[in-house]
Amino acid sequence: MPPSRSPIPQGTLDMLILQTLSLQPNHGYGVAQRLELVSQSAVRVNQGSLYPALHRLEQKGWLSSKWKESETGREAKYYSLTRTGRKQLAEERASWDRLTRAVQLIFSEEAGQ
Amino acid sequence: MKRLLNWWGGRRARLERDLERELQYHLERRISDLAQSGVPRDEAQRRAVAELGGVAPVREYVQDEWLIRWLREFVQDLRYAARSFARTPAFALVAVLSLGLGIGATTSIYSLVDQVLLRLLPIHQPERLVLIDWKGEQLADGWGSGNLLSYPLCRDLQLQERFFDGVVCRHPTTVSLTAGSEAKPAAAEIVSGSYFTVLGVGPALGRVISVDDDRTPGAHPVVVLSFDFWRNHLGGDAGVIGRKVLVNSHPMTVIGVARNGFRGVDIGEAPALWIPAAMKAQATPAWDQLLNRRARWMHVFGRLKHGLTPSEAQAGLQPWFKAMLDADLRGGLPGTTAEQRKQFMASTIVVTPAPQGRSGLRRQLTQPLWILFSATALLFALACSNVAGLFLARGSARQRELTTRMALGASRARIARQLLADGLLIAFAGGLLGVLLAPVTARALISFLPQDAASFDLEASIDTRLLTFAVAMSSCAGILCGLAPALQCGRVALTASLGDRSGNVFGGVRLRKALVTGQVALTLVLLIGTALFSQTLFQLLAKGPGFSTSSLISFEITPLRTGVTPADASRLIRRVHSELAELRSIRSHGAASSQLLAGGSWNGTMTIQMPEQIVTDRIVHRNAISPGLFSTLGARIVMGRDFNESDTLPPDKSGFRSAIVNEAFVRRYLGTRNPIGVRVANGAGANTIANIQIVGVVTDFSYRQLREESEQVFFPIFEGRGSSANFYLRTHGKPEAAIQDIRAVVKRADPNLPIDYVRTLDEQIERSLMTERLLATVSSGFAALALLLSLVGLYGVMSFVVTQRTREIGVRLALGATRGSALWMVFRDAAIMVGTGIVIALPCAWALGRVVEAQLFGVTSTDPATIAAATAVLAAATLGAALLPAYRASKVNPIEALRVE
Repeated sequence: MPPSRSPIPQGTLDMLILQTLSLQPNHGYGVAQRLELVSQSAVRVNQGSLYPALHRLEQKGWLSSKWKESETGREAKYYSLTRTGRKQLAEERASWDRLTRAVQLIFSEEAGQ
Repeated sequence: MKRLLNWWGGRRARLERDLERELQYHLERRISDLAQSGVPRDEAQRRAVAELGGVAPVREYVQDEWLIRWLREFVQDLRYAARSFARTPAFALVAVLSLGLGIGATTSIYSLVDQVLLRLLPIHQPERLVLIDWKGEQLADGWGSGNLLSYPLCRDLQLQERFFDGVVCRHPTTVSLTAGSEAKPAAAEIVSGSYFTVLGVGPALGRVISVDDDRTPGAHPVVVLSFDFWRNHLGGDAGVIGRKVLVNSHPMTVIGVARNGFRGVDIGEAPALWIPAAMKAQATPAWDQLLNRRARWMHVFGRLKHGLTPSEAQAGLQPWFKAMLDADLRGGLPGTTAEQRKQFMASTIVVTPAPQGRSGLRRQLTQPLWILFSATALLFALACSNVAGLFLARGSARQRELTTRMALGASRARIARQLLADGLLIAFAGGLLGVLLAPVTARALISFLPQDAASFDLEASIDTRLLTFAVAMSSCAGILCGLAPALQCGRVALTASLGDRSGNVFGGVRLRKALVTGQVALTLVLLIGTALFSQTLFQLLAKGPGFSTSSLISFEITPLRTGVTPADASRLIRRVHSELAELRSIRSHGAASSQLLAGGSWNGTMTIQMPEQIVTDRIVHRNAISPGLFSTLGARIVMGRDFNESDTLPPDKSGFRSAIVNEAFVRRYLGTRNPIGVRVANGAGANTIANIQIVGVVTDFSYRQLREESEQVFFPIFEGRGSSANFYLRTHGKPEAAIQDIRAVVKRADPNLPIDYVRTLDEQIERSLMTERLLATVSSGFAALALLLSLVGLYGVMSFVVTQRTREIGVRLALGATRGSALWMVFRDAAIMVGTGIVIALPCAWALGRVVEAQLFGVTSTDPATIAAATAVLAAATLGAALLPAYRASKVNPIEALRVE
């Protein structure tokens, strides 16, 4: 039985999308597949909130889009990270690292004591 | 502007198409993936859509993101605008104030115009309501004003079911109402039983008068209260139904309260209560002509049958009407001449649409209100052009900034949106200020109109229609003013303005100069209007009523309303009259049956025996007075004598023995004959015997209103069946002491008798000059504002021009021109603008003057002195304002000026 999947908050979804697209530009369906794959059975991505998130990130200027020919031969809208998007992602990772390190510290303290 | 819309519309359509393609792609990929892993096609389709959560919700959420972005950017623009205004607070303040005043003035006048002139009656289908009137000789005595018919005629019309779904009639009057402890005068309406049903007005409490309450005269002592009266004077007490009140000392039962918002059919006379016509004798004790066909006193309204037009009904009723005239004639019309009978038979019935009811106040105020409304519209145009000028100035100052932004890639649309945000921010701030100011100014305007006993109820509140109006105006103003610089912005070539150090942009200045010229023209029109209206008011006040009003007070008593007999009423008036003579605080006094300067009179035609009998060609205004009234007023008796004891008739005889006429009467009808001894009679009929002797001639003074001089005839008051008396008293010193004494005297004579309309004659004159005062005061306020706005606009443009031309002036001075010529160069610019404005304004003022001619007195609309004075004031003020920048120009230091490179 697959473990229960929790819905992810909006901020985290944005971060995951940025991360996915930082490796290589992709279209919406590709991002969805990748997210399913990478965070399999741990995180449930509501696909309905994927496209609003993509457009929002594009409005904010962190993503740019272009219509290109996809792997199936049809045209698809490809998203890629902009410079400001990369900066945003780096900041998010940094604060995420700080958070995990802090939590780690607390847990190691308890075990030590 | 069009580009803006295209951008929004086109871009949005493109975004939606893209999203559609994107989602299609996603679904197709998912479906094919699922199909490959063995899921049947339609199951795969269903699952793919379900996973997305449905295509429509996704589309909505994405659209929200786009909208949020546009809104967010617009909010950014607004914040940027606010910040830049905060940096130049003077600009923002002047702009917001100008617009606020313009919108406030227009909204408040519009509120009055709406209530008095535009609103339909709050009844069921007011568009089907018509007023029925008699055109021609009615051979009937009239009580009241306007289109009056008799009660039996109203009943006859009610039977004309082919044309009307219902016919109602009403008569406004004042009664003495005791609803609590004291008797107070209250406005009332005597109505037919069909009134509420036909108008479609229901009760808020209890029930309303129905046809069953109008069957037998005197047998239905019931009244319906108005909602406002019930709420304001009885505290909204639900237990009022069934309560007994005294109407002219007759007990009547309150059967209901009319629904909220219904105030009768005349906006100038909102009644406190409605009384069935059957109770007329109790409501109007002085005259009971309920069933008399030859007494006209009611306004008759009808509700047309569906699909019938007023002219169709009118044409359809003529045969019946003619038949009725025939029957009346055959029934005998005593006391009429053959000529009069001929005119009677030639009468017609007239049916006119009356969706707003019928109102004397509306008639009086229609022209003044539209004049004021046009004046405010002019003022608003001025305020807007001022603000547009300010924005243009600001725009040209920002020329550099805007073109830099365009060079850096901002689209035209983006810049236009920024400018729009600027304009809308100012406009809405101005609109808000205007909406806050409007109730204040509306209340001030309403205070000009005389408030009588529950007379009318114009509200100073602002309702949604007004708010929509104000918002619409603010938006127009904002869009126009904001985009004015945008028009400039697009026209200038990019490189030219970036490269040009001195930022010489004259395109904007031409527009601003045109605006100022327009403002000067509008201001002159307003100034001329103000001058004319103020002249009118002063002329009327200077003319005066023809008697001195210092220390002169008046009051009225109507003893019949307390339920006494006419003989007792007459005795009471006599008693009060003689007791007042003993008061030390009063120098002299007299009484008159009709109030002076109240807009109305007892009037009719008269017969004069010369010895040949002639009938006056127009109505003569009559009054019944006591001896001593003329000397109290200060009107001189130029021939003959005042009334005295020898003018009394034996108690069993009725009528008058003597009369006093005024000089105008003598001039018009008697020529050089000696008026003393000439006999006259009231009315004009075949059997009229002139048996009233003229015993004196008095100087002319105003009766109905200050404007007119009319022929007047006076009779002794104690010989009539005095129903009411207006006392005029000249006091020693302050009126308050005298009023105390007067109250004591009246209380002694009859403790239940209320004293009405206690006021000084100066107050009375003020009331009678209501519209003149309204026009003079409000238009001068507007003219002052307009002048201020024009001066500000002119000063602004001239300062700007001087700044722009500093270098040019410096060059000229360096090349040998005198300072005087520099001053003249700038001054000439201003003079041209002012001159052009004046030239444009004069023909407009001439044309508009013919429209307001009716309101003027003592001055024509083309009076050269007035127009010259107004022009002089304008020229002096504007050229004075232009002098400062011109002076600055003359003080330019050529070296400094040339150095500014």
